[in-house]
Amino acid sequence: MNARLDSFSYDDDIVRKFLWATMIWGLVGMLFGLIVAIQLTLPESNVAPYWTFGRLRPLHTNAVIFAFAGNAWFTGAYYSSQRLLKTRMWSDGLSKFHFWGWQAIIVAAALTLPLGLTQSKEYAELEWPIDIAIAVVWVAFAVNFFVTMAKRRERHIFVAIWFYIASIITVAILHIFNNLSVPAGLFKSYSIYAGVQDAFMQWWYGHNAVAFFLTTPFLGLMYYFMPKAADRPVFSYRLSILHFWSLVFLYIWAGPHHLHYTALPDWASTLGMLFSVMLWMPSWGGMVNGLLTLRGAWHKVTEDPILKFFVVAVTAYGMSTFEGPMLSIKSVNALAHYTDWIIAHVHTGALGWNGFMTFGMVYWLAPRLFQTEMFSKKLMEWHFWLATFGILLYVVAIYSAGATQGLMWRAFDETGRLQYPDFVETVMRLMPMYWVRVAGGTIYIVGLILGIYNLYRTWAARPAVYEVPVIQAAPLNPAYAEVHAPSAGGLWARFTSMHWHRRWEGMPLFFSVMTAVAVIVASLFEIIPTFLIKSNVPTIASVKPYTPLELAGRDIYQREGCFNCHSQMVRPLMHETERYGDYSKPGESVYEHPFLWGSRRIGPDLARLGGKYPDLWHVRHMHTPTDVVPKSIMPAYPKLQTNVLNFTAIQRSVDAMAMVGVPYGDAVNKAPAMARAQAAQVAAAIEAAGGPTGLADKEIVALTAYLQRLGRDLRNATTPTAQQPLVAPPGGSR
Amino acid sequence: MRLSDIMGAADLSVYAEIAMLLFIAAFVAIVISIFAPSRKRMYDDASRMPLDDEHPQTPR
Repeated sequence: MNARLDSFSYDDDIVRKFLWATMIWGLVGMLFGLIVAIQLTLPESNVAPYWTFGRLRPLHTNAVIFAFAGNAWFTGAYYSSQRLLKTRMWSDGLSKFHFWGWQAIIVAAALTLPLGLTQSKEYAELEWPIDIAIAVVWVAFAVNFFVTMAKRRERHIFVAIWFYIASIITVAILHIFNNLSVPAGLFKSYSIYAGVQDAFMQWWYGHNAVAFFLTTPFLGLMYYFMPKAADRPVFSYRLSILHFWSLVFLYIWAGPHHLHYTALPDWASTLGMLFSVMLWMPSWGGMVNGLLTLRGAWHKVTEDPILKFFVVAVTAYGMSTFEGPMLSIKSVNALAHYTDWIIAHVHTGALGWNGFMTFGMVYWLAPRLFQTEMFSKKLMEWHFWLATFGILLYVVAIYSAGATQGLMWRAFDETGRLQYPDFVETVMRLMPMYWVRVAGGTIYIVGLILGIYNLYRTWAARPAVYEVPVIQAAPLNPAYAEVHAPSAGGLWARFTSMHWHRRWEGMPLFFSVMTAVAVIVASLFEIIPTFLIKSNVPTIASVKPYTPLELAGRDIYQREGCFNCHSQMVRPLMHETERYGDYSKPGESVYEHPFLWGSRRIGPDLARLGGKYPDLWHVRHMHTPTDVVPKSIMPAYPKLQTNVLNFTAIQRSVDAMAMVGVPYGDAVNKAPAMARAQAAQVAAAIEAAGGPTGLADKEIVALTAYLQRLGRDLRNATTPTAQQPLVAPPGGSR
Repeated sequence: MRLSDIMGAADLSVYAEIAMLLFIAAFVAIVISIFAPSRKRMYDDASRMPLDDEHPQTPR
């Protein structure tokens, strides 16, 4: 054929930028991981207010997810998409805007999270102005990406790009709907959802952040960079398509497995479990597809550190996608939930799958992007072995920690009492394993530092001016006709000829819409019933909104990130009701904007804390936790006794809560006065009990009032009949 | 009367299960169609795409 050829070049400058951002933010994110790991072993290394576990842990998670893994995805996506689509990115300006906008968001996160500005929803902590910035940058990325696809010079859109498309669309949907909130000032907002619904939205988001930020984009990278590095075609393209559609169809349902045995309706929990278990097969199909792409190239693995990284990455993908479905089974989850088991699971995925995929990709890219030989292959080998050893130490220790603590929590002695009634005892037992984690994490980071040094030396040897190869390719022929026209012979034959699927693939916009439909329909079917069907959240008459002072205390609880270590959700399990009290009901959370159920118990559950200790206990505990709990690893918050509570700001909070539907009545007009009155009472009681004086306008009073309220409403409901068991479990006797 | 009262009375909880069945049906349809034998050549070409991407393509 004698068609005209277009000449163009690829934009590799943007790829180089993202590559450096990946490595540098990776180091920062992992250093913060190390810092919070040390804070758990050495409580003194918490320095309130800015440098505590509660504020830094979200910084760690956000940095490794959105800064490290995010930039890694963008690095690979900008490199591979241009080449697979045979075109330069549509707009260099938008590419740059995406890059600098994303880095600015990361910096904003790194500044606001230690300041205690947080929405308190995991991996969605960033406050509303930053959320809006994320949406804007994401739209710029999406527009650039979709127009580039429209201008492509390759008919078939390779499966890696499908994974990118699904990720871009789904992340946008998740981000917008989970972050809907009503602002109370520039740095504070309240989720429009409450309690059960908020929890549902959050874990619909949270699990799909794992799925569509850490899994599907990296699968796209796998399907491009593994064949590249091994110089072998994808083992089975069919399997890759199946892999893609299975993940798109299944992942979006899986979120509720984060909420087993909580106040979430049982049907939702079961649905989440079923879909999670189903995910196992396509995930392993993908893993096998990745590994078998190396068929005939296995001898290269022994010599090539890049392939080594990829092999371990795909193996880690296999391990975490086996473990994930297993953990989503309710009975397994009953043991693992709230323990370090989940932390170990996440790190197999993040350090193994995302980390190793990224490092393999970066090492493959570096000589091509910097147009010189890699500085040292030996350092790459060192990086590989250090990282592998680091992960092993980390996860083996933390798996043991998780199983140990889970088993201790549920242990009963022969007299039928809790064997370890003292929560802190179950924490102390973990300390040796926490130190091994510190060691493993340090080794992993040393490997990363070697990698950055190696990249730096490679970069330093780059040519004075990068060569920009001119690529030639023919534009798509608009008069193109399908070679394999749909065969006659009935609907079934036409269907199986896949003609329709090929036409979709040729229409990126339509294809994207179909992906979005699959994701949205699943979400709606799963989520809407929780919002609209009353029986899912039975109300409890005695549950009332927090008083303005308690609300201010709750804001402090959120600011300090208490939910990172304390759950407020007692599961209907024998050992939990023994340890904490009556299990949590859906109706208790109807005014919880956002929900604060938590996902990890480094400290005990607080859902039934109100009235358990006198006010003075809380005052002393916050000032120096070890004064009242000698072995406690909780950070000390002495400043709460001297920080003056901002009473005027309470009005804004109450107004925002009223706007999301909390019946505040009189408080919408006189919240500060009501708060002052209650604060004076609490302070007087503390003083009368022999505590410090002059606390009536201090933050500690608000926090104490909040903590003393937890679980009270349910008890009030049953006070008149205190002789009877508190609340009968559903369906009769236990 | 709130929307949730109306929806509660309608008793729609079975819809989640229906949706699940629809999704499984769609999924089965995709599986069958992917493994239909008629597209082998196209799949073989596509599986090589990452390796071919440095060279100009024949016009399509």
